[in-house]
This record gives sequence, C-alpha cells and structure tokens, in this order.
Amino acid sequence: MSYPFWDVGVGYGVLMAAIAIIHVFVSHFAIGGGLYLVIAETAARRDNDTRRLDHIASLSKFFILVTVVFGALTGVGIWFIIGLLNPAATEVLIHNFVWGWAIEWTFFIVEICAAILYYYGWKFMSAKNHLAIGWIYFVAAWLSLAVIDGILSFMLTPGGWLKTGDFWQGFLNPTYFSSLVFRTGICVMLAGLYSMLVASRERDPEFRGRLVRYDALWALAGIAILVPSWFWFRGSIPADVTASVAQRLPMPSASVAVGLRFLVALTVLVLVFGLMIPRRMHVVVALVMMVLGLGFFSGFEFMRESTRKPYVIYGFMYGNGVEVSKAPEYQSAGMLPSIEFRSGDDGADLFNHACRSCHTINGYKPLAPVFNGTDARFIFGVVTGIKGMHANMPPFAGNAEEAELIAGYIWKHVDQRPFEQVYPLTGAELGHKVYEVRCGRCHVPGGYQDNMQSLAGLQDDDINEILDNGSDYDESMPNFTGSDAERAALITWIKSLPAGGAK
Amino acid sequence: MNTPGYNFIPAPLWLISSLHVLTLTLHFVAMNFLFGGLLVILFGRLDDKWNNTVVRRFISLFPTAMAATVTLGVAPLLFLQLAYHRQAYAASIVSGWWWLLIIGAVMVAYYLLYGAAFARTRTRIPLLLGLAAVLLAYVSFVYSTVFSMAERPDLYHTLYAANRSGTAVNPEVGVWGFRWLHMLSGTVTVGAFFVGLLGRGDEKVYRLGRGFFLWGMAASVVLGIAYLMSLGDTLVPMMRSPAMWLILVALVLSLLSLHFYFRRRFLPAGVVLFVSLLSMVIVRHILRLIVLNGKWEPSSIPVKPQWSVFVIFLVCFLAAIGVVAWMLKAYFGDRARANQANA
Repeated sequence: MSYPFWDVGVGYGVLMAAIAIIHVFVSHFAIGGGLYLVIAETAARRDNDTRRLDHIASLSKFFILVTVVFGALTGVGIWFIIGLLNPAATEVLIHNFVWGWAIEWTFFIVEICAAILYYYGWKFMSAKNHLAIGWIYFVAAWLSLAVIDGILSFMLTPGGWLKTGDFWQGFLNPTYFSSLVFRTGICVMLAGLYSMLVASRERDPEFRGRLVRYDALWALAGIAILVPSWFWFRGSIPADVTASVAQRLPMPSASVAVGLRFLVALTVLVLVFGLMIPRRMHVVVALVMMVLGLGFFSGFEFMRESTRKPYVIYGFMYGNGVEVSKAPEYQSAGMLPSIEFRSGDDGADLFNHACRSCHTINGYKPLAPVFNGTDARFIFGVVTGIKGMHANMPPFAGNAEEAELIAGYIWKHVDQRPFEQVYPLTGAELGHKVYEVRCGRCHVPGGYQDNMQSLAGLQDDDINEILDNGSDYDESMPNFTGSDAERAALITWIKSLPAGGAK
Repeated sequence: MNTPGYNFIPAPLWLISSLHVLTLTLHFVAMNFLFGGLLVILFGRLDDKWNNTVVRRFISLFPTAMAATVTLGVAPLLFLQLAYHRQAYAASIVSGWWWLLIIGAVMVAYYLLYGAAFARTRTRIPLLLGLAAVLLAYVSFVYSTVFSMAERPDLYHTLYAANRSGTAVNPEVGVWGFRWLHMLSGTVTVGAFFVGLLGRGDEKVYRLGRGFFLWGMAASVVLGIAYLMSLGDTLVPMMRSPAMWLILVALVLSLLSLHFYFRRRFLPAGVVLFVSLLSMVIVRHILRLIVLNGKWEPSSIPVKPQWSVFVIFLVCFLAAIGVVAWMLKAYFGDRARANQANA
C-alpha cells in the first residue's frame, strides 16, 4: 500500500510472463549448455576429432550471443518488472535475501567473464586452460541457479521462515533441494535438445547421426534426472497446500497433466529419432522435440506459480501485495487509509490494490464477462464472499463500505443492460445462464460445492426462500439480487433438473 | 498473527552504503569506457577512422564492456533498493514504461555492438555504433530523470496523481538537465582516457583521446558548477557538508590526472582519475541524503544483521576476483604465447 499502482492497460500476468518465460528458458539452457560444451570439447579433444571441435566452437558463438546478452538482460528485466508490478513483494525479498542476491552476483561476474573468455579463447588457448575456463563457467552458472532457486522455492514454501524470519530457514526451505535437482535435469535436457536441433542441420548423414546420438543421450540423461526429482518436488510441497489448491483450482493439475504428456511424447521421439534412427533426424522433428521440452518445463512453472495462489509469498503476502497479517486490520479499519498514493477515485484505488494485479475489466482475466448484466449489490456480495468462490483468491482486505466502493466501480465499467438483454435467451436456457453467472462461481455443477442434488424437486416457494435468504445458509453467500425475469427463469431451470442430478 | 518483518537492513547502513558507492563507481568505469569511448570514436576526427587498428580494437571490446557495464550495474541498484526502496520503486513506477524500455534498449544496443564487432563490411559500422549510442543515451536519460525524481517524493506524488499509466517523465528539466549533461560530459572524459590509453602507440589516436579528455573535463567542470547552482535551497547545506571538500578533492585529482595523462603516465593518471570518480560518487550519495533530509532517513531503518550470509558473500566476492584474475592471466598468457609462436 506504500507504493503507487502502475495502471497499465496490459494484464500484469502477461507482462510478467513475457519476460519471465523467455528468461527461464534461456537461463536453464545457459547452464546445461555450459556443461555440454565443456564435456563435448573434452571428448572431441580426447578423440582428436577436429571436425567436432569446429562444430562445438560454432555452437559456443550462438551460445554466448543468447546467454550473455539475452539471458543476462532478461534476468535484469525480471527484476525490473517485479519492482513495477509488485514492489511490496520485491521489497520483502530484497530485504530478506539481499546477501543471497549479492552472492549470486559474484557467480554472475565469474559466469559472464568465463563465457566471454571461453568463446574468444577457442583460437589460441591451450586445451587445458580452455577447458578449465569452460568448467569455471558451468560451475559459476550452476551456483547462480543454486542461489536463485532458494529464493524462488521460498516463495512457494517459506517453511520455518514464517515463524522465525531466519534467512537459512527461508532459503533452505522444504522444496529447495528437490527443485534444484529438477532444474538441473531441465538444464541438461535443454542442452541436449538444443544441440540436437543444431546437429539436425548437418548435411553429412554420418556426422549428423553421430552428433544426434550423443545429444540424445544428453536429453535422456536430463529426463532421467528430472522425472524422479519431479515426484520428489511434488512430495516436498506440504500436503495442506496441494490439497487446498487441488480443490479450488484446475490449473496446477491441468499443467501437470499436459506437461507429463509432453514429456512422454518427447521421450518417445528422443528414443526413436535420437537413438534408433539418428541419421534420419530432421530439423522439424528436432524443433518439435524442443517445443515439447519447453512445453513440459512451462507446465512445471505454471504448476509452481498456480500452486502458490493466492499468495505471492505463501502464507505471508497475497498476490495483490496485502500482507496476510495485516488483512484483519484492513478489514476492520479499512484499506483506504493505508493507500499512500491516492487518485481521487476511491473505487478505482481500491480496485487497483485489491483486484487489478490479477484482473482487468475487459482485458486479461476480465471481470466484465463475470458481471455483465448483474447489479452492484451482487458484485458487492461476490467481493465480500470471495472466499466461497471456486478460485484461489485472497480475501477482500477492506471493510463493507470499501466493498461497496469497489462494487460500484466495477459495475460502472461493465454492461449495465438488463441480464436478459445481455444474454438474449429465454426460459430454462436463460435460467441456466443466470445460474452460471450468479451461482455457478461458487457452486460448480458436478464439482466444487455442488448442491444441485438438494435443489431437485423443490417448488417455487422453496426456491424463493433459498434465493432470498442465502446468507442464512452461508454468510459468504449473497441473497439473490437479480430481476424478476431472471428469478423466474432461474426457477424454471432449477425445476427442470432431473431428480438428484446435476446438468 | 506474528509474522517476520521485513522493515530492516541485513547489515549496518555504512556497510550497505559503502558497497553501493564502490560498486556504482566500478559500474561507472565500465559504462564510461563503453559509452564515452563510443561517443569519442563516433564524433572524433581521425583519418581512415574505421580502418584504424586501435579503433577496430576498441570496437571489438565494446560487447565485453557492455557485459561488464550490465554486470557491475546490478549490485549498486540492489543496494540502492535496500536503503531507498520507497523512492526507487515509486519513481520507477511513475515512469514505468520508460523504465522498462531500458531493458529493450540495452538489449538492442548490445546486439548492435556485437554487429559492429563482427562486421565484415566496415561501411555499416558507423550506423550500428550510432544507433547503439542513441539507445545508450536513452538509458542514461531515463536513469537521470527517474533517480532525480526518486529524490523528490513530493514530485512523484504529484506526477502520479496526474498520470498513473507509467508514461510520465520528470518535467523538472532544471533538476535533471544539468545532472544528465554533467554525467554525459564525465562519460566522454573517462571514455577519452581509455581511447588515449589504448591508442598510446598511435599518435593520432592518442591526440584524439587527449583532446576529448581535456575538453570533456572542462565541460564536466562547467556543467558540474551549473548543476550545483541549480540545486537552489539544497546548495547551502551542501556547501556546509563534507561534500564540498570532496568536490574540491575530485577537481584537484581530475587536474592531476590530466597532468599525468599529458605526460603519458597512464597508470597514475588512471588511478587518480578513479579516485576522483569515486569522490564524485560519494558526493552524489551525500547530495541524495541532503535532498531527502526530513523525507526519508535510511539510518532509521532497523538493522538486523545476517553476518553468516555476509561472510559467504565476502568469501565469494574475493574468490570471484581471484578466479577472474586467474582466467584473465590464462587467457592473455596463452594469447601472448600464440602471438610469439606466430611471429
């Protein structure tokens, strides 16, 4: 609340992802690539294979252009963007882990210096010194990962830090080691996949086959490391965290499911084209393998990020920058007095600080489709009863008056025509839509908090009684505030439900 | 609910400030080599410039200088955000888009410099370097305007009230104008020092560096005085602070550096110039404290030392210096041996 809110037209998630995804791919590739280069160079020198040495030297040129420039600057870019999007969380991380970052910086210096000398040293350096610098590069790059992993995994599982605030308890948190091993596997796999992509462009089938087979072993070694560490990582996340997320969010499970399919497909392709028919490796196949590998990795990152919701630092700070410990204070005294940078529009300020880090009105994760055709009382009910929704959102950290201000602000920006005009439906179809918009966010048919069974067979008076006295059933459930036409349509739809069944 | 606080610094303020000042000075050295050298080479007059061996060597070093500039720029910003987080984040958010574009500008400039270093046709080099210089000028402009704003909480509050989209630019040209120009002229001065140093065996290049070194320093002094005059109410407390003595020290050392440089004694010239630069960075730090006086007091932030991690940092830092030194020795040693063998 101490910082201005960057009221930018683009969704925060999009901005973050645009920089972070690229950096994560490149930085992992940079580590695995470093190991690949130095080991491949050792083998080529041992075999006195000059052709292969030339191939590795050309790889290192692309490597330096991608990692030293793109990797390093997107890394700085992440730092810039988190400071703009969530300065409060950045402040927490920097104040607790500044020495961690400072240590990582010393590795970064060595890494960059070694990468440059390794590339420029190909022409004249002795094999011994050149290989030594290659090894220094890899070790520094991996140590850099080992430090950053502590801060990244801390955000998901702060562990004992939540009680003590101790650096080491936060850094060596429950998912630190499993995450580090997993990421190391990713590094090795990406190095193999990228090298295979380059090798697939070789014209000589014999040479191509030799390179591809070697690179396929790298990819498989990476997969062999990351598969068990993946299960280790999943097991390291406290059960209450995974259970809570599994109940409310489809994203983590879906990310895992998609990611694992990618990994299976990738493994099959590597086995077939990499080991069985390596001479027939085509650039398109290699590209598909690269995409599958990155797809699997993206699945992991999405899972990690979505498991953490609604927090940015689990159990300590919500994604909107509100500290968990301060939420009760804001809920009684109000959030507005704590917002230092005010615009004059209280509704907008509250919306920005409470919702806008994840939602826009019409763009990224839009609220308009959720609230079009509804009314300010309904929006108020959703804001105050947010904990009952089928989503992992922070509780509203403000008082009732502020909830009304937010509701008014949102309602002002959505389609205010009557519901039946926004959704030109009639009868039970309109009723189904009314259910989806006004009830289905908390009661998912056949899923989360499904109460359909109890509705089947009810008559008009019974249904009206439930609609008018929702808060008697659950304090987070608002009373029905729709028009008579909506009510009639909803009752028609509910009465059309088959006994004991959801639609 | 008892949860850990984060309103603390994990080491005494003097240590954080010292590390900030030291790493910022190192960043400036690398940045001045790059940006200053780039400007001198672009705007300096030299016969058959793009075929000159020293110029070619300088251009081939630009990507490495860029890597050093970026790497050495990380630490001072980190330490700055530790003690001045409120101001640094707020000002960067008010100019959010311009701030974020720094990354894109540096990245493109980086590739342009690689393009120039690897260029086979020399006709494209001036264009590549010119574009890179424009982008680096943009970066320096944003840094000057944002950090000037960061020292004036009233200003960023006012700007934010008027524009919350992150497209605001610090409108107080009087505040950042001379500061930025002073930085640019200082950059040219130090860049020219390196041009002359690398071109010490080529009289024409040495003269080119010497000319820019002399006039860059003169411009830097004039613009520095103009900047001081533009400080308004801040000038009096500034003159009563140790900063005035440091300015005098920096001035004398700069002249001494010029003296050594003209006598081609580059080592003492470089050492004295570095100390002068360090003095100016300390002045900059003191000025920030004076401007923020009453609005933000970093010494009021509680200290909760994390000595065990600091010791690891210190060990890693010293080890990094040792490892880098070894790598450079191995690299240049092998290169010298290879050159001897070729000869």
